[in-house]
Amino acid sequence: MIEALLRRLGAALVTLVLATGVVFLVIRAVPGDIIGEMLGQSAGDPASEAALRAFFGLDRPLVTQYLTWAGDVLRGDLGTSMRQGLPVLGIVLDAFLVTLEIGLATLLVSILVGVPLGLAAGVRPGGVADMMVEGFTLLGLSAPVFWTGMVLLILADSWLGWSPPLIYTPPSVSLADNLEGIALPVLALGFLQAAAYAQFTRQQSAALMRQDFVRAARARGLPARVVYGRHLLRNIAIPLVTYAGLILVQILGGVVVVETLFGIPGLGRTLLAAIQGRDYPVLQGALLLTVVVALLVNLVIDLTYALIDPRVRGA
Amino acid sequence: MPLSTPRLTIDRRTALLAGAGLLGGGLALPARGQDGGAEAVYGPDDPQARRGGTLTVAIANEPPNLDPFHQAGDARTAITVLMYQGLMFEDASGVAKPLLAESMAVSDDGLTYTFTLRRGVRFHTGRTMTSADVKYSYDYVRNPANGSPGALDFGTIAEIGAPDDHTVVVRLSEPNASLPMTLTNRFGGVVPVDTFATPQARARLSQQSVGTGPFMLQEFRPQSHIRMARFPNYWRQGQPYLDGVLFSVQPNAASVLVALRSRRVDLALLARPQDAEQLQGQAGLNITSASSLRQCSLDLDGNHAQLKDPRVRQAIALAVDKDAVMQASISGKGKVLGTIPAAMQESWGAPISALPNQKPDMARAKALLAEAGLPDGFTMDLISIIGFEWMDPAGVTLAQQLAPLGIRLNIQRVELGVWLNAYRSRNMRFTFNDWGTQPDPHILYYRHFHSQPRGADFRNWNNAEGDRLLDAGMATADPARRKEIYVEFQKVVDASVPTVMLFSPDLVSVAQQRVRNYAQHPTGWWFGLAKAWIAA
Repeated sequence: MIEALLRRLGAALVTLVLATGVVFLVIRAVPGDIIGEMLGQSAGDPASEAALRAFFGLDRPLVTQYLTWAGDVLRGDLGTSMRQGLPVLGIVLDAFLVTLEIGLATLLVSILVGVPLGLAAGVRPGGVADMMVEGFTLLGLSAPVFWTGMVLLILADSWLGWSPPLIYTPPSVSLADNLEGIALPVLALGFLQAAAYAQFTRQQSAALMRQDFVRAARARGLPARVVYGRHLLRNIAIPLVTYAGLILVQILGGVVVVETLFGIPGLGRTLLAAIQGRDYPVLQGALLLTVVVALLVNLVIDLTYALIDPRVRGA
Repeated sequence: MPLSTPRLTIDRRTALLAGAGLLGGGLALPARGQDGGAEAVYGPDDPQARRGGTLTVAIANEPPNLDPFHQAGDARTAITVLMYQGLMFEDASGVAKPLLAESMAVSDDGLTYTFTLRRGVRFHTGRTMTSADVKYSYDYVRNPANGSPGALDFGTIAEIGAPDDHTVVVRLSEPNASLPMTLTNRFGGVVPVDTFATPQARARLSQQSVGTGPFMLQEFRPQSHIRMARFPNYWRQGQPYLDGVLFSVQPNAASVLVALRSRRVDLALLARPQDAEQLQGQAGLNITSASSLRQCSLDLDGNHAQLKDPRVRQAIALAVDKDAVMQASISGKGKVLGTIPAAMQESWGAPISALPNQKPDMARAKALLAEAGLPDGFTMDLISIIGFEWMDPAGVTLAQQLAPLGIRLNIQRVELGVWLNAYRSRNMRFTFNDWGTQPDPHILYYRHFHSQPRGADFRNWNNAEGDRLLDAGMATADPARRKEIYVEFQKVVDASVPTVMLFSPDLVSVAQQRVRNYAQHPTGWWFGLAKAWIAA
């Protein structure tokens, strides 16, 4: 198993190098640069533009720029934001922690809502619960997160006369303010992911319900608690964990919509601002972090298999 | 609550006299009283003002950083005017008046400006401002090697002297009547000597302010907020009234409305003036509306296959019904333009009746197009910028208006960075534009319309008569003559149509009732917070 993990780590490193190279080239292939944002319609002085290009090192060959950046990254320096002049590491880590909190909270909501609903639907396919859950999943999966978020915002404003706080507060400063700030984004994202989770759980559990060992357990007269809790849940645990990993990566990647809608200063919004402002170092740093996190999540999932399924431990 | 539209109170006689004082040979313009006449920029003093409290302002456009010298965007200037001050300031009527200067004198030949500095002005760093700081700041901006977008504006400065601690002498290579406006708050802020001595200096300006303004930077959290605190050593004793200001970055126009309704914010400028209708009847909100210095326009590239023919450009101008475009774009909440933004029309504008190409005339448009050899019209792209909401309905309306000429528009929506790149490289084609200005005709027109290298001529207009008038306007001190020149220039713009200025959206500010004594400056910048206060 260790050998397999090392192999995966090696492959992950290759992926990382390739991903950073592609990102580096693609963002520079897009027309426009930071100079455009800085000068706006006050451009027109070639000497000033050349000076700015030199200040940011954009006048050097692309290969030199990439190797300099990669060398700095290996030393733990992700560079300096062209827009704010602040260290990229600090910017992306601060933003990532915000996104991670929203991601984990969304995952928790999805599991707490989606798994019980999926189980309830899956144990009696075609039953009333199944039909109700199907309606829930259909709505959750088809409603765009942006729409859900807007609806929540409008309902909270018009029914409760309440709107989210203007500024995101980290949980370390005030948990109450923090929860107030992330409630709507988590609900908007959670609706979609809970629906996805419910659908997945329903499919898994419905398939298992037809398996011989479940039918045998029920035939032996075991209580439903034992049949569902020990036989069913234990057997769908691995796919559910895998799915949790996938969903977390999906949330981290797709959170930009809610971050933009609710003004949350997370990684998605930071990435978007970096793209719009052509802030190459922040963009590269944020994507590097995203790739690393995706790889780590996959690694953790692999390790979790071993904990859940003894057969994997020996592999 | 109905929209109230306060009458623009531009005292032209006062403005012109002040202008003569600024620009006339050998005359000097002193500051007025302790405030230096700055009530025109910051609003009036209020003896009833209650001190204290933090005022929360919603902003939709976040500045990339708070560097007063290297960032041209309005989003930056709107906020840094509270932290950095120029020798002069831009008053609402389009006249530059002393701010950090106490007085200004101009030599007979218009080539030497002598500024006497206000005493006792302290920087946020604690140091007292001297003429050496002013010389350092302006020498820095005008040196192209430092990469400031203001360098072109400062291009006529030949030398800056600091004969004593309180006197600054600016010598020009040629007369430039707009120099006082150049030394205002966009790029004319004064910072301490050696502020940019290290490469890290620019970054520090997003963490710590070093200007002389009424507020100092406390915290800048990108994508979230900017927090400022009262500068205790501000030169205007007893001000500002507020303890602090919190600028909250809002992700979209809808969230600004929600935050206003739920009273989480005290003050906001609406990015979409038509949104004011959604706040009507909302108790506790004061809504004011005024003409702005912003213009939503159409730019026509002189190198474009069809647009290079002035008759085609004229035909397009004559086919455009600006009022219909404005109705579709912002529900009519603005002013239809001639050849100058709405807030400058009275001071500097040519009467629209004197501009024959500024009203629809389809018969003439068709005749011109036929004369240009395009009787059946042609197909071209119209460039629209993603994120500028007014452009989408305007594009559709325009396509309908040009259809009778046989001009078929393919609307291309491009991202702002891509658009700016095309703009800088003078490849504008046929595009929407959205830009603002300081209230001075030289600053408005010169960079945009003068041929290279003195101007940028983004539209490849390359018009010799336009150049001549722009140079004459820059060199002319007498305000009345200056206006005549710029009116002539506008007639050339009208005849040759490098641009079709469509409309100026109204500047609509919304404040909770507890916000008192806030005056909105026509630039849309937040000067007024220096004298605003919060009622208990």
